[in-house]
This record gives sequence, C-alpha cells and structure tokens, in this order.
Amino acid sequence: MREITLSQAVNEAIAEEMRRDPTTFVMGEDVAEAGTPFKVLSGLVSEFGTQRVIDTPISEPGFVGMAVGAAMTGARPIVDLMFGDFIYLVMDQLCNQAAKQHYMSGGKLSVPMVLRTNLGATRRSAAQHSQSLQALVAHIPGLKVAMPSSAYEAKGLMKTAIRDNNPVVIFEDKLMYQDKAPVPEEEFLIPFGVANIKREGHDITLIGTSSMVQVAEKAAEILAAEGISAEVIDPRTIVPLDEEMLINSVKKTSRAIVIDEGHQSYGVTAEIASRLNEKAFYHLDAPVLRMGAMDVPVPFSPALEDVTVPTPEGVAENARKLCAGRMIHAA
Amino acid sequence: MPLDVIMPALGMAQDTGVIVRWLKAPGDAVAEGDALFEVETDKATMEVEAQGAGYLTGVVAEVGAEVPVGQTIAHISKTPEDAASAPEGTARTPDAAKASDSDATPVGEQVIMPALGMAQDTGLIVVWRKEPGAPVLATDILFEVETDKSTVEVEAGHDGFVAALLAEAGEEVPVGDVIALISAQKPDAPVSRSIKDGASVVAEPAPVAGHPAPKAEKPSTGPTAKAQDGRILASPKVRRLALERGLDLARLVKAGHPQPYHVKDLELLIMLPAATDPTTVSAGAARHLTADVPSDAFAAFAIWAADEAGMSDVSALLAGLAAASLGKGDITVAVETFGKAYNYAVSGRRLGAVTNADKDAMPDLRLRDLRNARLSAVQMGAEEIPVLSIMAAGDGLMLTLECSAEHLSALDAITFLTDFAGRMEQPLRHLL
Amino acid sequence: MTSKTEASSNADDYLRMYTQMVRIRTFEDNANQLYLSAKMPGLTHMYSGQEAVAVGICEALTDNDRITSTHRGHGHCVAKGAEFKAMFCELLGKEEGYCRGKGGSMHIADQSHGNLGANAIVGGSMGIATGSALRAKVLGHDDVTVCFFGDGATAQGILYEVMNMAALWNLPVIYACENNGYSEYTKTEEIAAGSITARAEAFGIEAFTVDGQDVLAVNELSETLVARCRKGEGPFFIELMTYRYHGHHVGDINRAYYRSKEEEADWKENRDPIGRLRGWLVDQGIATENEIEVMNEQIKKDAEEAVAYAEAAAYPDVSEVDMHVYAATDPATV
Repeated sequence: MREITLSQAVNEAIAEEMRRDPTTFVMGEDVAEAGTPFKVLSGLVSEFGTQRVIDTPISEPGFVGMAVGAAMTGARPIVDLMFGDFIYLVMDQLCNQAAKQHYMSGGKLSVPMVLRTNLGATRRSAAQHSQSLQALVAHIPGLKVAMPSSAYEAKGLMKTAIRDNNPVVIFEDKLMYQDKAPVPEEEFLIPFGVANIKREGHDITLIGTSSMVQVAEKAAEILAAEGISAEVIDPRTIVPLDEEMLINSVKKTSRAIVIDEGHQSYGVTAEIASRLNEKAFYHLDAPVLRMGAMDVPVPFSPALEDVTVPTPEGVAENARKLCAGRMIHAA
Repeated sequence: MPLDVIMPALGMAQDTGVIVRWLKAPGDAVAEGDALFEVETDKATMEVEAQGAGYLTGVVAEVGAEVPVGQTIAHISKTPEDAASAPEGTARTPDAAKASDSDATPVGEQVIMPALGMAQDTGLIVVWRKEPGAPVLATDILFEVETDKSTVEVEAGHDGFVAALLAEAGEEVPVGDVIALISAQKPDAPVSRSIKDGASVVAEPAPVAGHPAPKAEKPSTGPTAKAQDGRILASPKVRRLALERGLDLARLVKAGHPQPYHVKDLELLIMLPAATDPTTVSAGAARHLTADVPSDAFAAFAIWAADEAGMSDVSALLAGLAAASLGKGDITVAVETFGKAYNYAVSGRRLGAVTNADKDAMPDLRLRDLRNARLSAVQMGAEEIPVLSIMAAGDGLMLTLECSAEHLSALDAITFLTDFAGRMEQPLRHLL
Repeated sequence: MTSKTEASSNADDYLRMYTQMVRIRTFEDNANQLYLSAKMPGLTHMYSGQEAVAVGICEALTDNDRITSTHRGHGHCVAKGAEFKAMFCELLGKEEGYCRGKGGSMHIADQSHGNLGANAIVGGSMGIATGSALRAKVLGHDDVTVCFFGDGATAQGILYEVMNMAALWNLPVIYACENNGYSEYTKTEEIAAGSITARAEAFGIEAFTVDGQDVLAVNELSETLVARCRKGEGPFFIELMTYRYHGHHVGDINRAYYRSKEEEADWKENRDPIGRLRGWLVDQGIATENEIEVMNEQIKKDAEEAVAYAEAAAYPDVSEVDMHVYAATDPATV
C-alpha cells in the first residue's frame, strides 16, 4: 500500500470532501496561497479558488463565530485554527454557540462544522504554542473530538468529521505532519466512537491518544523483550469514546495505563481511567494509571521541555511496576 | 371578574413584599392604571397599579403585611360589595363560601396569619385578645403571635365584630391562612374552633427532609472480615476471584505472605494447608520424611556433654543440634519429652549457648523426644510448625520429620533431616 | 413622520406593520404579567418601546432572509413571523414551544422563518449573522442577514472582527444597532466612546442613523439597504435611536436610580411608535380609530388565548432531557 504523510492525508481528505460536497469550504489564517504555515492545505486554493478557501484576518473569535453561522444556514465550513492554544480565544463561539445550538433550538438548528487544530509539545515553541487542550472541549456536551494518531486515521477521521452534522474538533499532532503511514487510495471513512487495537497483548492495556499511541507502541516493544505482553489501543475519538473496547481489553489484561499529552491533572486520562474503574473494577489487578504531560506550562528550553511529556521508557517503567504488583503509590 | 390583585414580582432576589400603604380602600372605584397600593422593596417604595377597572374588594393583606410574590391580596370586582368571593388561585386562603356552607361560619373580612419574617412559614398563636362576638376596631390588638425572635401583637385590621376565630391559641398556622373573620354586623353565632376543624386549606407542611441517601452497599470484598489485623490490601480482581473460588485471603496474611495481594498470589493460597489447628490433619501437601540412624551415638554424647561440659539438659542439646541442622539462623525450638514441653532459644552453633526460652514463645520447630516411648513410628500429619520426632529403633534411632510443603521446601526438608541424622549418628561432628 | 405617500397602494403593508407592532407590545405585556405573577420560570427582557425597529426592518425581509436576535428577542421573533402560541409555550418551557422548551426566552429561535435565534451572550450572534452572510456569498444565495444588537454590544470585540471581514468580503449583512440609550443599567454615553456609526465607517461600511420610533422611516431605509445587499453592495450599518420602556429585564423594576421616571414618561407619551403610526394611519385614511380598536382587541384576545393555551400545555417529557445534544448524521452520506 502506498505511504503518505499525515499532512498529505489531511489534504486529500479535505480535497475529496470539497469535491464531493459544494457546500464545504475552508477558512482560516493563511489557508489559501500559504496552505497554512504547516503547509497542510497547499494546493487547495488552486483547485477550489479563493471563494472556497478563504484567508481570514487574525480574528479567531470572529471567524469561528462566522463558521458557526455559515454552518447553521446550510454550509459545511472547515475552520483552521493555527495552534490548538488558540482554542481559548474561541471558547464562546465554540462552546456557548456551536455546541449548544442544536439543543437550545430543540433540534431545529444544526452546526455541521469542523474545527481543525493541533496539539503537541517538544517543538521548542514554548508555553503558548505547545498545548494539548482536548480535555477542555471534550468536557462540553454537543462537541465531538477526534485525535488521529497517524496519516491513516487523519484521513479517515477528517472525512467523517466533515460529513458529521455536529461541530467536530480535530486535533492533529503538529510534530507528526511529515510522518508517513500506509493509507489506501480507495475512499474510506473511520467512524467515530470506534477504537482500534494497534497491538494485541494480555498483561497490560496501554491506551494512548494521538502521538501517545506511538509512545505506547514503543513501550510495548521494550516490555515484550522483558516478557511482558502489552496491548495497545488507540481510541481515535475521545467524544464519542469507544468504552466497550477499552473495557473488554482491561477485562482481559486486568491492568491499564492511559496516556495523553494533555496535562496530568483533570484531563482525558482521568476520564478514561475513571470509566475503567467504574466499569471494570472487579477485573483490575492494579490501579489504572494516568500519564499526561507534567502540570507545568511547557518550558522553552529543550533540556526542560522533553521531560514534561510521557516517553516510552516512562510508560514501560510504570507497566513493569504494575505487572510486578508493586503499587506505584502508597497503599 | 373578579380580577386578582397580586403581590407582584419585584426584583430578582425578592420573594415577598411588604405593603406600605393602601391607596384605595375596599369598595373604592378603581380605573385601569390607578395606583392601588405601595410596596416596599429593598431599594425604594413602589406603586402597584390596577390591571383592570372595577371596585376594590376582598382586601386580605393589611399595611405592614409581608406577602409572598404571586399571592392574591385583593380583588377588583364588578360591584363594591363583592367582598365575600374568595381570592382565586391561592392555596393559602380558604374558600370562605365553602366554609360558610359546611360549618355555618359567619362571613366577614378575613384576617390572615401575617408573614412575620422572610424565613417564617408558620406562626404560633399565643393568645387571642378578643372573644368571639366582641366588638373590635381595626387598630385593636386581635391576637399575639410567636416568632422565633419574640411575640408580636397583630391588629385586627378591620372595624367590626369578631365573627369567627378559626384557630386556637397554641396552634401553629401557616402564613397566609385565614385565622379570623371580622363582620360588619354583630354576629348571631360567632364561631371559635381549631384549625383542624375548618375547611381552610392548610399550607403544605414543609417537605420532610429527604432521607439521606441509603449507604451504598459495601461491595463484597471477599473474606477479609476474618483478617486478624483488619484490612487486607488486595486488588479488586484477586478479591473477586478468591470469593468466586471460596478462598480466604486472610490465610495468606496468617501465613505471613506480604501484602498487597494480586492474582498470582492465589496460586500460593491454593497451596496453603487448610489446617490452622495443630491437632487437625492437614490436607494434601504434607511432607513426611524418615531417617534411619543405625547406631545411637547421641546417648553417649549426651552423657559426655553432661560430665565434661556441664551441659546436663539433654533437650537443650537436641535443640541445638536440630537448629544447626535446619540452618535458618536463630530459632526457638520446642522440645517435648516425657510429656512435657520446653522451649529453647538457639543462637549460633555453640551448644552451650542454647538457653531456655519463654514458655509462651512461638517455637519455629518442634522436637518430640520419644526415645523412651514404646513408639516405633509416627505419622502425625503436618502441624503448624515442622515437627521432628525421635524414636528408638533397635540399637539406633528412627527420625521422622513432618511439615507442610509451605514450611520447608522439599530440598530444605531433605537437607534438614539428613543433616540431623548425621549429627545424631556422629554428634562430635557438630563440635567441629 | 413621512409625508403622505401612495398610501392606498401600500395600505396592507402599513396595516401589517401596525398590527405587528401591536402584536409585539401585546406579547410583551402578557409576558411581563406572566413574570409578575410568578408563572414564568427565569427572567426575560422586554422589547416594549422598540417595536418599530424590529417591524420596520423585518417587513423588508422575506422568510428566506435571516436574522439573529439578542436576549431582548421577542420583538424580532414576532416581527419575523412567529406565532404567539409557540412563543408563549417556549417562554414557559413547554414542549410545544419553538425550541421544545429547551431554549427559553433567551434562546428562542424560529428556524422556519429564518430567525437564527436569540442569544444570551452579548454579541454572541454577531459571528453567526456574519457567517450566515458568508454562506450566502460562498454558496451563491441571494438572501440577506440582519444582525440585531444593542448599543451595549458595541463594546464586544467580535463586532469589529466581523465587520472587518464583512467589509473585506462585501457580505450581505446589515448590522442593526438598536441604541436605546442604556447598556443594562448604564447610560450609553458612559460605555461607548466616540460615535457608533463611525465605528462601521472606519471599515468602509456605509452607516445610517434613523429614528427608531418611526416605523415607516425604518422600513424605507431597510428596503433600500436590503435591495442593495442582494446586489452585493453590502454590508451596511444602521443605528436606530429607540427606547425600552421596561427595565433591562423584567425584575429591573426599581430603576429610577439610573433612569428617571420623567424620561420614561416622555418617550412613552410623546414618541411611542405604535401611537405614531396609529395617528398616521388615521390621518391617511387607511384605517379608522374604530377599526384600529377592533384590531387591538383581536390581538389582545389572541394573546390571552395563547397564554391560556401555553399555561395548560404540557412540559416536555423527562426523557427528552438528553435528546438533541447531537444532531443525527445522515448515514447515507457516511
């Protein structure tokens, strides 16, 4: 199968959907000629024109609000938010307006829009351009949240997101844009709410989002050499979440670590761990661990930044302890 | 018609309003938009306008009354005499017409239990100051009400005669309920009764404080209740499996196995002997080894030790030799001989250093000196500690080691008995 | 007031404008009563006094044109074609409300008539309105969107973001600023520096000021601007000078501290939009006082019936509480 980069996969997905549905259009900063600073959307404006690939001023609340209005009245906008950190700027339009219109109108108005943005640290972009804020939006009823972990997921999830009649926030890991993965040429969509078992195992379940899937996979390799068999699962979307697959896995392995690049406290990991606790309690032979980024603003210095995020060695070490029955914290 | 005149909602934080002044009197003609009364709010005094034209009737709240928002306090009726019709839509004021039908209560101006404070739902009537049938002026004190702060005197509010007292002193009446009627004419049959007798609608009692949520059932955690030292640390899965298989995690605790327990500890639990009582027979995995010592050199050794080294306690010697053979460091050995048991603390190899241990000390090893008994063989089953039995066998000795699989591994048991047999055969070797 | 025009040929339009304004006033009176008699859950915000703004503008729009509304949204809702029954039901949280009781006064929306909804966030619908206009441009539709907002909302940053983009892209949107002199409990001049219309003009947007109590003037201006929008000449900005008779919300009763009774009385007695049009209709011979009274009574009756209906109507079933969080996605497209 051919391999393409995550960037190419996103580009293909959007282009295909724009060809298929004339009500779809893209808007955001530097999306047209520049194709965004990450070059993900290069070429779209040549095919679809500036009418459907719209460069906006630096007005995040304004253009996200406009996307909401366009979506409410028959279009399907794909809004590019250059850095996930800017989600704070658009919270009213995203969480008070987009997320709630369908409910507040008793089902009469819908907001079929996609907010495309990114996450991920270790790029030396410092505190305000390195955040992974999926937990903020996952918390809001009415939004859906997708987290592709490779080019394959990026394409399949993007297409589903564009066709979904709800506001969907997609987070791409900005460090993965040049990473390649096998992606079919034929059309395919990845449904929301369906997780993927990347690697089967029976001693411990490692649940990772976005690039933490690769971290988990590397940890699984390390553990395999020590005789510990780790199962790696990618939820792919955190809202909706494929609880059933995660719970079944934990019932099989009786141990789990959840890894996400949001901060350690009050994050996605806490939610998933909590659900495993509630629904697989009597199958747990070890506490479910959360591994997130440290509860610090992302530091600039490379010496500091790299220690703030989960690593394969860190995951493996925790897995070892859990499998040995050594509780990580005091009883 | 008649139109309800209600206490309006006056502001976001306000649940009641105090009537400062009536601008129209009962029976007055009012036009739509006329100011009817003034209400005090926390900011200022506000005029409330009539919502329709007619005559003001059925005024049931007097100046100073604190009325809940939404409650009807008067009517605008077609005629000025329309005072008898009960206000609609309020649960608190009884239908006076109904009252008169069922109980022949006289009609009259209604006197209600006033709202005396923001937090007060009921008032306790302390005493009536007027008798049924007595004449009364509006400014006369009609009754006293107890609030949580003090006793308040309440004026009659209407001129006339006390036609009915609808509650008794000592009764607690909800705010807004009608408790007396004052008629213009002297009543023929003034009434005095308890609120329980009346047709008045009693305000719903304050809802019973909700039952505290039933305590969540403690999930079954397996047979931990029998744990000697309280809570056992164990994973949810191992507890469940232990429960399902009828295994008792507490036995792992007793066996000294370190917590917390996980699923793999169940393998150990399964192998533990069922017996905890020294007299019961163990199941399954008990060890029973015998060794044949052809010649009993120990007896001579014991005599020599007593003569030459002053070590006259044979049992102590046995304890020392046994401990050395076991090779598990300092232990306490219980030696049973002639029906008596003595504890010895053994430390190091020097037989002279074997000392008496406390009678209540927990022995690690039991030695039964049965040389003078007529027994030739024993098979007692494993007890709670390993047991070494020494019997006479011809010119030599028969040694029997019995223990559970958990006490000693197979290798340890074999080594122990072999070693001890060796020492019993050639005790002097021990001294080397 | 405009001078006598070809009144007779537009008689129906004028009568309709009149009845629409009366409908709004009557609706608000009833809504206010519902609040005062403690029958309405929550709060609401009265539009009384500003009827000419909503009616004058909405009469220039079709059902296909869109509006966005504000927390003071009943006027826009009625003006854009909503029915009393469903509106009262919504205010009382009943199932037959426009939003199945799930939105209430501050989120009332009537999608079938192009009302994209009231909004509880000040400035919250400016993005939506401008986005609707963007959609019209991108998809090649010829509808126009009107964004209603108050003078207080000119303090929200998003207004400038969207006006900028609307101007850059010539979007078919009309920004209608209902300047009623007060931003909640504070006079406008204390919260809005400089000129309100100059703000729009700074983006190159043509801005107009009009007497918001003169429904005919509002309507005439709106017709012109809507037509120009359809030709791609938008966006536009209108500042309508108007007045709200009630407080900021229904509970804002003791308001003499920020607004004098004399001022309120002056607007009510001397500048009432309904009274003015009424006088004009009679002068022009379009209707007699009697006919007007009959119309008023009918509207009053309609409102009372609708209130009674709504009061008796059922609440949504509890099972609806978690419906409509997400829209169904057409499986055929997935």
